Amino acid sequence: MQKILTTCIYCGCGCGLYLTEDKGIITGAYPSIKHPVSKGALCVKGWNSYEFVNSLDRLTHPLIKENGKFRKATWDEAIKLIAEKFKAFSAESGADSLAFLSSAKTTNEENYLMMKLARAVFKTNNVDHCARLCHASTVAGLAATFGSGAMTNSINEFQEADCYLITGSDTTSQHPLIGSRIINSVLNRGAKLIIVDPRKIELSKYAAVNLQQKNGTDVAWVNGMMHVIIKEGLQDEAYIQARTEGFAELKELVGEYTPEYVEKITTIPKEKLIEAARLYAVTKKAMIVYSMGITQHTTGVDNVKSLANLAMLTGHVGFPSTGVNPLRGQNNVQGACDLGALANVFSGYQKVTDAAAREKFEKAWGVSGLPANIGLTVTEIITAAGGGKVKGLYIMGENPMISDPDQNHVRKCLEKTEFLVVQDIFLTDTAQYADVILPGASYAEKDGTFTNTERRCERVRKAIEPLGEAKADWRILCDVAVACGYNGMNFSHPSEVMEEIRSVTPIYGGMRYDRLEPHGLQWPCPTLDHPGTPYLHKDKFSKGKGTFMPRPFIEPRENTDEEFNFILSTGRIYWHWHTRTLTGRTSTLEREAPVPYVEIHSEDAAEMGIKNKEKVRVTSRRGQIELQALITDRVVRKSCFIPFHYREAAANVLTINAIDPIAKIPEYKVCAVKVEKL
Amino acid sequence: MRRKGRKIMTLKKISKADVLELLECCAKTWKTYVPLETEGKDILFSLLPTSGSELKEALGKVNLNDERVIISPKDIFFPQLDDMFYFDKDKIKENVEPPAKKLIFGVKPCDAKAINFVDEFFKRNFEDIYYLSRTKDRLIVVIGCITPPRPDACFCTSAKTGPFANDGYDLQLVDIGDEYLVEVGSSEGENFINSYSDFFKDAQEEKLVKAQVVKSQAAKNVKLKVDFQKALEIMKGNKDLEENYKRISERCIYCGGCVYVCPTCTCFNVFDEKKDGNGIRRKNWDACVFEGYTREASGHNPRDKKVQRTARRYEHKLKYDHSVTGSSGCTACGRCLTSCPVEIGMSKFIQEITEDKKGA
Repeated sequence: MQKILTTCIYCGCGCGLYLTEDKGIITGAYPSIKHPVSKGALCVKGWNSYEFVNSLDRLTHPLIKENGKFRKATWDEAIKLIAEKFKAFSAESGADSLAFLSSAKTTNEENYLMMKLARAVFKTNNVDHCARLCHASTVAGLAATFGSGAMTNSINEFQEADCYLITGSDTTSQHPLIGSRIINSVLNRGAKLIIVDPRKIELSKYAAVNLQQKNGTDVAWVNGMMHVIIKEGLQDEAYIQARTEGFAELKELVGEYTPEYVEKITTIPKEKLIEAARLYAVTKKAMIVYSMGITQHTTGVDNVKSLANLAMLTGHVGFPSTGVNPLRGQNNVQGACDLGALANVFSGYQKVTDAAAREKFEKAWGVSGLPANIGLTVTEIITAAGGGKVKGLYIMGENPMISDPDQNHVRKCLEKTEFLVVQDIFLTDTAQYADVILPGASYAEKDGTFTNTERRCERVRKAIEPLGEAKADWRILCDVAVACGYNGMNFSHPSEVMEEIRSVTPIYGGMRYDRLEPHGLQWPCPTLDHPGTPYLHKDKFSKGKGTFMPRPFIEPRENTDEEFNFILSTGRIYWHWHTRTLTGRTSTLEREAPVPYVEIHSEDAAEMGIKNKEKVRVTSRRGQIELQALITDRVVRKSCFIPFHYREAAANVLTINAIDPIAKIPEYKVCAVKVEKL
Repeated sequence: MRRKGRKIMTLKKISKADVLELLECCAKTWKTYVPLETEGKDILFSLLPTSGSELKEALGKVNLNDERVIISPKDIFFPQLDDMFYFDKDKIKENVEPPAKKLIFGVKPCDAKAINFVDEFFKRNFEDIYYLSRTKDRLIVVIGCITPPRPDACFCTSAKTGPFANDGYDLQLVDIGDEYLVEVGSSEGENFINSYSDFFKDAQEEKLVKAQVVKSQAAKNVKLKVDFQKALEIMKGNKDLEENYKRISERCIYCGGCVYVCPTCTCFNVFDEKKDGNGIRRKNWDACVFEGYTREASGHNPRDKKVQRTARRYEHKLKYDHSVTGSSGCTACGRCLTSCPVEIGMSKFIQEITEDKKGA
């Protein structure tokens, strides 16, 4: 029985855990005591992260679709077919007729290789991944204001903070080992909690101030807080003078956001807004914590910029236990962004539009003519594949059928996609539409690194061989590149890939494998003697001066009307992960939450005569689903919440494919629906 | 095995310098489990390789100090996930482990107590062949604790489960400086000493005195103390503990960790994996804190509230286990506290109800 240290596959906390192995089966998962995040504890998903690995549903050999049916294929056949098709599309219709979806569930090395495959081998920037659906707004918003689009501080700094402003993050559900640190701080040390969320969360009961805003009005309440702070002279003048620019514009813009005006927009009582503003402003160690509730809006970037403004206004950036802390959802969504699986940047956020950056990568990769145009993003790729503009689509470890907005649209697009390759460990809803399916390896079956939400690049270690004929994803990508005649991807181990990453990615410059023992390093880590960076923007911002970027409030795209009179917000629950591909195959987790449901306020339910657990129909302009009603007071009246995990009643049948103009992130958090008793 | 803890008046000692060599010898014929330091600098019970450079390398990682071991050695007999049997349309093939001599070396007294407790459980109402097949021909070598591995959480003196064992071992080693004094607890233990007589030397009477001094100092080193007896009386009595359970259940984030790390927790769930007419029946660790744990097939759940499940856990450990076995189901190892993300633990609960302390 072996016990292999690795990094949890679920959320961005990046807990260190041991997989136990016995005769080729993964028989358990234990927390690491010495790991700085897990410290001997795990959440329920971490404790149960072993089971799906052994599922008999795992894909164990390549499949090729013939006459509408999948048949077993050899690796040679499958890879050759992909190479032929992709080369032909490229020759006939140009490089941008190809597109690649990378994965925040796979390793850093694999994300780097995916973007290298797209860019170096096929000369397209049509490479993106699900960060587009979660924190694209963060990357854009914080890069513009601070110069770096990542969580500013570290997980252990949560243990020292005295005030938390948490908005759009159900922290105990989605980042349990951060949520637990907050609970301990509140109950043991009397730290203060401000919760701004349209829906009550587990942490709400600990809040000093609870603000329940109307969905999609975040810019307004943040501007309102800044209005109060400036009016009462609680801003940090010295900090603003020394470290920021653009304060005058901010002051002017927030001038009109009086608490009364904000109350009209957000429904937040003005007294509560004032109380929250004072508490946050006067507490020295105050952290802003946010997640999808802020980012998944057509104003996602505006929301993020506004929070950045608030933190700069009060001098809450660049010190321990402060900062603006976007909690990254997936285990490696930070890394997938860092390694350039985005349509606009190479690894280390080096822009594809920058000639010097292109030249650098051309030299490193031994190619010429890297494309300068920004590629298509996740939802644009799906639409382009449906419209025939993209002919060859390669999806690794993503399940857009369940995860993307407007499922009926996604289905039509995937049906029409000329040639679809899906590389995954299970036959997902997306894989059903594939022409070729490649069996990848689970996290227990390969080496590599993940980068957690606090920018900690840490090792993933192989505990068992890939099941059946399955292969590590990095190896598959290399095989495809080689089959396409490119010889710059002949890697024999992920550590070699990391050596190349180090040479072209300044923030990862010091991340050599031996240095990542035992618990990783936090970027920026530019050199081999650099100790890593626990918190960003110390003494000065990454971009020099922090820039206030005042934004006016803009309404969400879709508002309620007489027919569609409920606001729908989608999200996740503690027991499940994203499209339930893994947790649905984990007995303990699936047992806790086996059926889809919609949360409805008790008074609305009473009016409509809906009983608890009764089936209801929820309809939007895009489609309808039927599911159980969960009567609760967690949501406010005339709003409802649906977890998006369930294929049986996919919330994304309802959501709107309206996107933020900069980040291209869909507005999962607001759309109009009607609820009917069946 | 049945007379564990029987003191046999053979006074032996083993030099600390010889322990690795002993383990090297044992690894050839025994499945030998010892606390090994991992690449993450944690300590976990692991199986020693049987020979060669792999064994040498593993021996270099043996850590017999008073360190926190994440999971008690219960997982050697009761792994987190276990294949029970394989089936197809026609037949069932049991997956019972073939008999093998097992040496569990370096077990802490509280964990040894727990192993015996779990042994009894898996025999009491039904014979769990998957568990019992793994406990055959098993030898347990306890090493008592000089300093508590979890200084703020160990409370073994309160449960009388440590820092040295009174029974439940085949051999117990007492750290008396450069050597361990060896206490023999069973005939199997004595046979073991005889089989490896090169390593076990006769000890003089004065070593026994030294061992007594070490043991009494070790007991003093355990600072955390709770009143088990009083807790039991309170739980048997009329005192309303609803508020205590409520506070705990509200703080709890339902990770299941307290149950998973508990060396005496025995609950498992059973489920089938099926594909193309073939399948595997598997069992894995379950936890009574989950809603699905007590949900009935109809959907009705007699303990659908968190507070009810919290109450059940404490009542089971402290009251029910005591009524059935005569001793508490808590061996006071402190793991539930140190593995709880929100700092809930059995010692805190007992303190709270016996000392009227506030806070979970």
